[in-house]
Amino acid sequence: MEILAQILSSGIAVGMIYAVIAFGFQLTFATSGTLNFGQGEALMLGALVGLTCVDTLGMNYWLMIPVVCAFGMIQGGVVELIGVRPAIKIKSEFGWIMSTIALGIIFKNVAENIWGRDALPFPSPLSTDPINFMGANIMPMEILVVFGALAMMLLVEFFNRKTIFGKAVVATSNDRDAAGLMGINTSLVITFSYALSSLTAAFAGVLIAPLTLTGATMGGALGLKAFAVAIIGGLSSGLGIIVGGLILGIVETATGFYISTGYKDVPGLLLLLLVLAYKPSGLFGKSAIKKV
Amino acid sequence: MMKLKSILPVLIAVLALLGFSLAVHNPYYIHLAETILIYIILLFGLDIVVGYVGQVSLGHAGLFGIGSYTAGVLFMQFGMPIWVTIPAAIIVTAVFGGLLALPALKVVGPYLAMVTLAFGTIVQILINEMTWLTEGPLGIKLPLPQILGTTASEFEYFWLVAILALASMVVVDRFLKSQIGRAFEALRDSPIACDCMGVSVYRFKVIAFVISAGFAGLAGCLYAYSEQYISPNTYNYELSILFLLAIIMGGRKSRTGAIIGAAIIVLLPKLLDDVHLFRIVASGIAILMFVGSVVAIGKQITTFKRVVIPLIGTVGLALFSFWLENIADWRLSIFGFMILLVVYYLQDGIVGFAKSFYLALSGKAKTARGDMNLDGVDDSVSFISDVAGQNVGEELLKVDSVLMQFGGLKALNNVNLSIKRGTIHGLIGPNGSGKSTMMNVLTGIYVPTAGNVLYSGNSVVGKTSSDIALSGIARTFQNVQLFGEMTALQNIMVGLHHTFKSNLFEIALHLPRYLREEYEARSRGMALLKFVGLEDLANEEARNLPYGKQRLLEIARALALDPELLLLDEPAAGLTAPDIKELLRIIRKIRDSGVTFILIEHHMDVVMSLCDTVSVLDFGQKIAEGKPAEVQADEKVIHAYLGT
Amino acid sequence: MLSIKNLEAGYGKVKVLHGISIDVPKGQVVTLIGSNGAGKTTTMRAITGMIKPTGGEVVMAGENISGYDSYQIARLGLAHSPEGRRVFTNMTITDNLLLGAFPRFTGKRPKGDIKHDLERALEMFPRLKERRNQLSGTLSGGEQQMLAMARAVMLNPEIILLDEPSMGLAPILVEEVFKIISSLKSQGVTMLLVEQFAAAALEVADYGYVMENGKIATHGPAEKLKVDPAVKAAYLGGSH
Repeated sequence: MEILAQILSSGIAVGMIYAVIAFGFQLTFATSGTLNFGQGEALMLGALVGLTCVDTLGMNYWLMIPVVCAFGMIQGGVVELIGVRPAIKIKSEFGWIMSTIALGIIFKNVAENIWGRDALPFPSPLSTDPINFMGANIMPMEILVVFGALAMMLLVEFFNRKTIFGKAVVATSNDRDAAGLMGINTSLVITFSYALSSLTAAFAGVLIAPLTLTGATMGGALGLKAFAVAIIGGLSSGLGIIVGGLILGIVETATGFYISTGYKDVPGLLLLLLVLAYKPSGLFGKSAIKKV
Repeated sequence: MMKLKSILPVLIAVLALLGFSLAVHNPYYIHLAETILIYIILLFGLDIVVGYVGQVSLGHAGLFGIGSYTAGVLFMQFGMPIWVTIPAAIIVTAVFGGLLALPALKVVGPYLAMVTLAFGTIVQILINEMTWLTEGPLGIKLPLPQILGTTASEFEYFWLVAILALASMVVVDRFLKSQIGRAFEALRDSPIACDCMGVSVYRFKVIAFVISAGFAGLAGCLYAYSEQYISPNTYNYELSILFLLAIIMGGRKSRTGAIIGAAIIVLLPKLLDDVHLFRIVASGIAILMFVGSVVAIGKQITTFKRVVIPLIGTVGLALFSFWLENIADWRLSIFGFMILLVVYYLQDGIVGFAKSFYLALSGKAKTARGDMNLDGVDDSVSFISDVAGQNVGEELLKVDSVLMQFGGLKALNNVNLSIKRGTIHGLIGPNGSGKSTMMNVLTGIYVPTAGNVLYSGNSVVGKTSSDIALSGIARTFQNVQLFGEMTALQNIMVGLHHTFKSNLFEIALHLPRYLREEYEARSRGMALLKFVGLEDLANEEARNLPYGKQRLLEIARALALDPELLLLDEPAAGLTAPDIKELLRIIRKIRDSGVTFILIEHHMDVVMSLCDTVSVLDFGQKIAEGKPAEVQADEKVIHAYLGT
Repeated sequence: MLSIKNLEAGYGKVKVLHGISIDVPKGQVVTLIGSNGAGKTTTMRAITGMIKPTGGEVVMAGENISGYDSYQIARLGLAHSPEGRRVFTNMTITDNLLLGAFPRFTGKRPKGDIKHDLERALEMFPRLKERRNQLSGTLSGGEQQMLAMARAVMLNPEIILLDEPSMGLAPILVEEVFKIISSLKSQGVTMLLVEQFAAAALEVADYGYVMENGKIATHGPAEKLKVDPAVKAAYLGGSH
């Protein structure tokens, strides 16, 4: 029973991080039909920039968050400008896949050279004493992760539903041509969605950094698993990725506990392959109708 | 039938290898060349997926690893010799390639890339964790293999690798020039048309991955002996990216491209290790780029705007190399940077760029992709199976109360049609009335929500498009679905895929049955082209053909299936008056040999002059049917179109 | 108000428009009719920036807008109710209407009283008023057409382009749609109406152009075209 509670609580925290990164995938996919294969690196850069703010510049964790978010927005804008916009213009899927991959590699390498190749500890803003709940040891930071992730996603939802600019973004994802007819500058919307996507990734980075070690390599595995979550949940469903994230987080933690930590990543990847084999639109997604 | 042109590349390769091995004795350089040859083998395989099927694979390092570890494990656990480990590595990796293809069947683009990435990651994890089999992170040591009783020397092993690389080049080339290579390109250019021409997209995706994996497995096995030590962390994401960079930079769909690409990715890291050498090379490239740009702008081949970014890129790289003391740490950034440049500015790779640069400089126009040898091809063969006289007037196709519903929309609502053999049956109706939906139901693209479709008495509901095509129903598309990057003749030969029975071995060894089938297909293909008046454009890429000719090509391609029933979806759309006349002539000629037609058209003149019977759809329902003149005067029809 | 001169456009290799010239004077309803495949929708798309013209020019209120992006053209006061409606299916009717007024929110067009105009639009389309918070994807074809037109009106535009409003609608709904078009006409709204249903279009229009194979086959005052046999021939073949 205690073990179950522990697996659940750790799994939920990890799962919410995956969900928030996957959320970023959804944002750009909805508006432009493209994804950032370097999404994990956006998270990694956010975490490292946050580390510098907190360690070197002595900033307060909470004040650091908006700084990192601003950084994330700029980084996302850069990715869109260099990697995605030219590809959309020449309608080359291969183009944006390869260039977002390339940018991811470059960011990782730059990070390695600036911050070194070692994994660094990130000072936790909350107490590191675990809280005991139903037999499980829960870190206060894990609770912050869950709330932070949910808060971010709810904020974006609020923006989408209540502000006219948010509605313009939703309209662009629904029908880009028609959105243009409404006077909406859809190119700008796409740039914005990339900026927002990297912002959420960077934010996720500073949320998870105190729980694990921060380093140039932290992005790779997270990015791939977040993609798995986005696929499992369905790229068009917000609820789907939360469910997908929780499933993956819990299954992963359970695997790590019962089998071995080395195999931890495998179930998520297998789940990804299974979903793509049988229902590519995801558990919650809608299948598209072929038109000839 | 070996012509000089086809032997030449092999000859050059053999001479180069001979020259190299005679001139160079330093084991370091021999090993370097060996690594390049091994990567070349893998890249030949990768090109099948990337260049021919047109997908991104981020998992080939995993396949490479399976090849290495099959050899390593068989050697370490069972002491197997090399003449067992090589075929074993090929087969085991090919099987894994097939496994990889399964989740990839229904997806393309970024999803497929992610499938391969997940696969590659799982493989690396498994190799690392299954220590009881693979020794995990400790790795496996292999000595140079025993060949003919004694341990091979560096030199002898080099030659083994070289011979296998040469063999791979020949085999891959033969595969890609055969009906299999055409099937791959067809599935890249238009999966829907591919299925409708009887070439199953699922089947060939699996075949592409299996063959690609086989080559990766061979390369992996040879790599294990070459390095004499293998460990899991070699076969990582970065290696897969490096392979991709090699293919894109060298040039897709090209053996030379794979060779150049392999050389680049092996030599480049060595170059980066020596910062002085790198500075010299980077500066050299920047100067070359600068001079080349000036010349090209001077000759008006290109504009300043188009070269400014690559120019800044290469000059910037050179400057960057002077600023840094240690380039090796920035290796991955440089690779990333190269990918960016290549993806936008060097889309056809070095090989493609060299070709167009040469053509532009020498003022020649782009020559047609003249791969096909047309000498001696007999284009007078009969090309249409003669079904005339067979029970004209009997019912060939019956559409029985078909309902096609998408969510709340009834695209086809209880439609009944009876198509009589030997007739041309028109299907008309205003926009959105369900005509194209009907075509898609008849060819298996949609499965009807209810009702039945009987072809010669047998139900086709639930059958795959590919099976339906092979049973005698062929079609053209409203938006032309030709295989754009293939030539006119190649397009038709995809339609003739069903005439090929030879297997991989027969193709690889150019056995008589395959050669005969290829010859007969070319002859028949040329005959079909002649029939539609396109014989002079046989070696022209389909996407470069004028629109009217593209439509005729599509019809010729559909004929290649030997159909009894031909479905034409707006064949006259966008055609000029003389083109339409030609179209009518061709359709009538085909009808005379007994083929039955269903014709969707908006051009009323075409419908009136061709059709024996006309059915009119409106809002998914049949509102009128009869002879063309009757239908033209029918009140309901006039109302449906004009609203009066 | 809107003037198209020798417009040429197409899709990739296929040239669809071979030099179209149309004039839409302010305050008038001009209709463009012709059978399917004649190029009517292509003309609309070329005017509103959904595709870029390859020749000729489009002039609106004195400004040459050929080659502009859609959003720029909308900001100048051209509202387009596109073929197939293209309402934002995962948003409510109210949100769709608000988006129609997007440039007014961002200051690119005179703001006016958006809330008031929203209520007024709902009054004009009672079916929409009943369902104002319903997702537009669940509406019927007829209701979606109403929404698309109301959305165009929300821009407070100088001119409205209506592309095949009757497509896919049952006759009784077609009547309703054309009643609304008449009502807009009586309010002095300038409109360019593209239609397959020649009869209804010519009833409501002042002037008409008949398209065939990417060219203007004939044009004239709507009254005259109503009885011109060339119109029927353009659709169903026969003598020209």
